[in-house]
Amino acid sequence: MNVILDTRESMKIALSAIIANKARGALTTLGIIIGIVAVTTTMTAFKGMQSSFQQAAGAVGADVVYVSRMPWITMNDFFSFRNRPNLNLEEAYKLEAAFEGRAIVSPNIDTRRDLRFRSKTLDAIPVIGTTEKMPIITNRMPEIGRFLMEFDVRYKKNTVVLGQEVAEDLFGQTSPLNKEINIGAYRFRVAGVLEKQGGSTLGGPNFDRQVFIPISTFVKAFGGRRFMDVDIAVKASKMSDLSELEYEVIGEMRKIRRLKPAEDDNFSINKLDSLLGAFNSVVGAVLAIGLLVTSISLFVGGIGVMNIMFVSVTERTREIGIRKAIGAKRRSILMQFLFESAVICMAGGFIGIAIAAGITAIINKLDLMPASLSPGIMVAAVVISALVGIVAGIVPAYKGARLDPIEALRYE
Amino acid sequence: MKNNNPKSAVLELRDVVKTYEMGNEQVHALSGVSLDIGENEYVAIMGPSGSGKSTLMNIIGCLDVPTSGSYSLGGEAVANKDESDLAEIRNRMIGFVFQTFNLIPRADILHNVELPLIYGGMAKAERRVRAERALEQVGLADRMKHKPNELSGGQRQRVAIARALVFNPSIILADEPTGNLDSRTGDEIMQMFDDLHTEGQTIILVTHEDHIAAHAHRSIRLRDGKIESDVLSADELLSDSYLGPLPAEYEVGAANVG
Repeated sequence: MNVILDTRESMKIALSAIIANKARGALTTLGIIIGIVAVTTTMTAFKGMQSSFQQAAGAVGADVVYVSRMPWITMNDFFSFRNRPNLNLEEAYKLEAAFEGRAIVSPNIDTRRDLRFRSKTLDAIPVIGTTEKMPIITNRMPEIGRFLMEFDVRYKKNTVVLGQEVAEDLFGQTSPLNKEINIGAYRFRVAGVLEKQGGSTLGGPNFDRQVFIPISTFVKAFGGRRFMDVDIAVKASKMSDLSELEYEVIGEMRKIRRLKPAEDDNFSINKLDSLLGAFNSVVGAVLAIGLLVTSISLFVGGIGVMNIMFVSVTERTREIGIRKAIGAKRRSILMQFLFESAVICMAGGFIGIAIAAGITAIINKLDLMPASLSPGIMVAAVVISALVGIVAGIVPAYKGARLDPIEALRYE
Repeated sequence: MKNNNPKSAVLELRDVVKTYEMGNEQVHALSGVSLDIGENEYVAIMGPSGSGKSTLMNIIGCLDVPTSGSYSLGGEAVANKDESDLAEIRNRMIGFVFQTFNLIPRADILHNVELPLIYGGMAKAERRVRAERALEQVGLADRMKHKPNELSGGQRQRVAIARALVFNPSIILADEPTGNLDSRTGDEIMQMFDDLHTEGQTIILVTHEDHIAAHAHRSIRLRDGKIESDVLSADELLSDSYLGPLPAEYEVGAANVG
């Protein structure tokens, strides 16, 4: 028998059966809709978190190696790093000298201070001491005004560049350029405002809620020598292999610190990759749990479909008898009911996707995170709903297909 | 009880036995039925309820298989076929007409008539032509897009007949075809069977009503799972087809014995 012909007939029967029982079909579909909305929204949220993170991580720079005292991600090995010496500015300048002409080296150091402009105060804003090279390393440009210049650093100027959010909170609509603000006990003149970085929804660092001052000024104003711990950013001036740069930095740092070959490094090399890896394993676990929980709702929806398919098979016992009497084989009956449950579930899938798209739009409107319903998720949702339909339909369909035609014809 | 019908047999049953298990008891629905039905015969199977006529109809219709004995339809042995093969035989060789019409309620009547062809794997265009022709034959060409519940009982039974005919089956098997119809409509339906027989169709009626059985040219009576009688009607006994041509020398006027 012709399979395509069979399929078309099965499809037609399935549709007419669903149309004949609209209310029932709608209720059954509702279970699947809820399941699909839950699953797709979870996946969308995951994608949103990921791209939000990547956006924020842009400020770290994908081609930059950071030398720090501690690794960014510590598991339970924190205590083994506890006795490491701080990185100081002299070491940073030595590293800069070693990479002269080959790489851009910029030391950074940070603390938190209250900011004040006239009567407005912002508490505990991260204040970062850096050099004029920071925009090159992190690809962050000023939106208005300028960034720190070489002379700001050299002459320890009280110059500050604001993150977008800080500028908004302190100055509102008025221009902050050349205004003077207080950082802790010191007065600084605003030279510029950085463009918006975004992507700070996850409780990670908010790159728009920072201010930047020359590192030399920082040391003079806030740097009790004992607490100084510098991060050194190294970016290869030509796009070379990042791991090669990493090895060179390690070598130079060991030289600067005069480490013997047998000694372990007493500093850490950090880069975006290690951050991404940690992020992905955490969020991956969250996603796995989320999908597990949401698939339970899909599973419950599937049980609803199975239930309704049993009812449908029983109701149409006589019809099955008629079809068998005039020549339908088991396979044809099986297909008919499988199609019916697959169609119910796929309809649920499509409606679920539409609703999930609505939710995604709302998330974006509220600016919670850069959520997007990707085509991949949509295709997955349709395929999953069809699979749920087939799995839920197989037992009822098999029951129908196995009916004895004589008994089925006698059924009232 | 052997029937000496000279026509070639469409179906042959030999010592067909059917037993059902009912709890611990064995019920003999058929206990040794042998029967030949030839091409273009018009047969009524009769008997009171419990006589085994439904069981015999199910076996003839390939809806069921005998416990023992042999059954061949169109020269092919049916007794040991599996479900899928039986479905195919029903599809190609048997046209069912039921007491309760048994149309698919949600499908229009054209689709109902097309259904055997769909399960037979026929292409759409040819299917459509055949189904329309069958509906014309039963006088319902103008109702093709109607649903069964928009038709009268007689019209529904005509749709069922069209569906039975559409694949040119070897036999039409009608189970109490007038049981749900008033007598006038019933007569119309029987007239339709008579016409089909005249056109060469082999027809088997299962009925308990004598006046319906009277349309047939041969009636087989069952009692307690056995054939009680198998008689040809008087008309049939005298018909040309039964007697066949006489040898030339016995024809009237041929005997020029000097």
